[in-house]
Amino acid sequence: MAKLAILTGAARYDVACASSGVSRKNEGGIGNAKSFGICHSWSDDGRCISLLKVLVSNDCIYDCRYCVNRRSNNIPRASFTAREIADLTLQFYRRNYIEGLFLSAAVEVSPHHTMEKMVRILTLLRQEYEFHGYIHVKIIPGADPVLIQQAGLLADRMSVNIEQPSEQSLRLLAPQKSLPMLYTPMQQVRDQILIHKEERKRFRHAPRFAPAGQSTQMIVGASQDSDLTILHTTQALYRAFGLKRVYFSAYVPVNQDSHLPALATAPPLLREHRLYQSDWLVRYYHFQVEEIVDPVHPQLETEIDPKMAWALRHPEFFPLEINRAAYEELLRVPGIGLKSAWRILTQRRLAALSADQLKTLGVAYKRARHFITCKGVYAGSRPFDPLTIRRSILPPAPSAQQLTLF
Amino acid sequence: MDYLYDGSFDGLLTCIYYHYYQEAADGIYARESYQPSLLVESGLVCSNPDYAARVYKAIEEKISEAALARVYYAFLSSCPGKENIILNYLRLGFRMGSKIDFYHSHPQVHPLHKIACQVTREVHRFLGLLRFADQGKFLYASLAPDHDILPLIADHFAERLAGERWVIHDQKRNGAIVYDGQTSPEKKPYPQRRWYLIDLDTVPASFLPEEDGYQELWKLYFTEISINSRRNPRLQAQFIPHRYRQHLVEFQASRNGFRLAENAALPLIRRE
Repeated sequence: MAKLAILTGAARYDVACASSGVSRKNEGGIGNAKSFGICHSWSDDGRCISLLKVLVSNDCIYDCRYCVNRRSNNIPRASFTAREIADLTLQFYRRNYIEGLFLSAAVEVSPHHTMEKMVRILTLLRQEYEFHGYIHVKIIPGADPVLIQQAGLLADRMSVNIEQPSEQSLRLLAPQKSLPMLYTPMQQVRDQILIHKEERKRFRHAPRFAPAGQSTQMIVGASQDSDLTILHTTQALYRAFGLKRVYFSAYVPVNQDSHLPALATAPPLLREHRLYQSDWLVRYYHFQVEEIVDPVHPQLETEIDPKMAWALRHPEFFPLEINRAAYEELLRVPGIGLKSAWRILTQRRLAALSADQLKTLGVAYKRARHFITCKGVYAGSRPFDPLTIRRSILPPAPSAQQLTLF
Repeated sequence: MDYLYDGSFDGLLTCIYYHYYQEAADGIYARESYQPSLLVESGLVCSNPDYAARVYKAIEEKISEAALARVYYAFLSSCPGKENIILNYLRLGFRMGSKIDFYHSHPQVHPLHKIACQVTREVHRFLGLLRFADQGKFLYASLAPDHDILPLIADHFAERLAGERWVIHDQKRNGAIVYDGQTSPEKKPYPQRRWYLIDLDTVPASFLPEEDGYQELWKLYFTEISINSRRNPRLQAQFIPHRYRQHLVEFQASRNGFRLAENAALPLIRRE
């Protein structure tokens, strides 16, 4: 039990939680995977628990400054055996506690040694226990490509955490790591996924390689990097490696270090939230990073969301006629999401839409009304002025109060 | 005229049939909860599987498969007056055809889409929020969902736990799903079998809480995975409303109050 506590506590800063993106059938053992993903619980911090997230071991030879498991920290160390992890996963899975396993590890002896241990666990689970649930495996940078290849054939999703958005901050905070060292396995995974996909087009039963793709994670707030750097790196990663997700993790100070925020600093949760919003704009809303942040505005606004910020900077784009605008244009309107945009598109074929109907379609009308016209009628603030709109959207500032004399 | 039906899906579809081929219905109500009024006549409707099957097929062919699924989901919801919402929806649906799927904000369509969506959402939620306890011979899960979702979650677990023997018990509606995948344990791979919906009122006393320690391990995992400086109970309550928590292991008080600090004497690898 103590082991589980230690190795869970050590893994809690890994944010990847998705169990989606792959359909896997139960082929005579236990478990399957659904492409929509299932969350099984939510912990006290409101983050979802869908995978059993543990480290194989937290005994690390590296000394990354931001990490709770770094070598110079005096904390209890422990490691699981392959069978312990496999049993725990299976028993939790039978009881429907989890959707699968998230396996990560500290580097005990060498990357090869750790990666080999992880492959052994995956083999045990998939072959001896006939487990067909979801498995996310972390790649240890520097491990033998053969081992990564084996892991990819057993797991659903693979990931390498790049942790810092620039070479410079990585060198400062994780002196034993470098970006090329992290990029090599990512390239390998990208190529293998492509090759195996191509093969499956020809042979129906060809094995799948990391069918749920690969992802990565960046720490926000440990270094001085701006949102501009972070988002540019994110976009570059999506383009270069075809990643499914880039996760952001607000840095929770765990170590006393002159290069890091002080221990009492609160994690920048709002900034993390705004970064995720921007990430969604890029992945689903046809935005380019250059539109969200630019050298003049290198940081995202915390007061309003990035889409609203973009809309207020581009008054020339609005107002849009809801009954005529294209799908991509609708997506630009604050208050209209993917689902409501699609509903607008399909319903306006039957009859022109009025403002009342928009509310039942799921549009956040309070925000959207400043940017749209319905059948030519504009119901927003007049004249169209970014400053007035901004004031009407923000929660009212606390009013000044007369202090009592006593 | 008000039609009264027996609470089954077949009964409801039979009412729809009579609405078109006999007297038009003013409303459809469940027999148990109907309050007679002086102004409107009411008539009992016997479920007729043949008529029901014809309406079922008509919805599928003349409206759409999506509409049929929505009607069924809406039927399983616990929303009062769902029968009339379905009736109004179908009356419009048989006139409009498959276009009705896109008429989301129409006053006869929106209520149905809304309650069907509530049921869909709860079904998805309970795929994750269901907890089995190992009773030795079988797995047992209890739940008290807002809507009657048992028939909608059964297939998922029958595929996932194909080789297990399990019971999912809806304590609010006194129903249960039983599944037995272990009839011939030597034979692998386990084929997926049929599940059965039965009435189950009380939990037999022999259903003791699980003793093998995995519940305690799960509770421990649950507390350890959360980051204290990010604590956010409001966000958590959005995802797991308090009404669901009495059936979740991780929200029950731990029996022996295990904490890491109390067990610090356990043998650990320590680095000098």
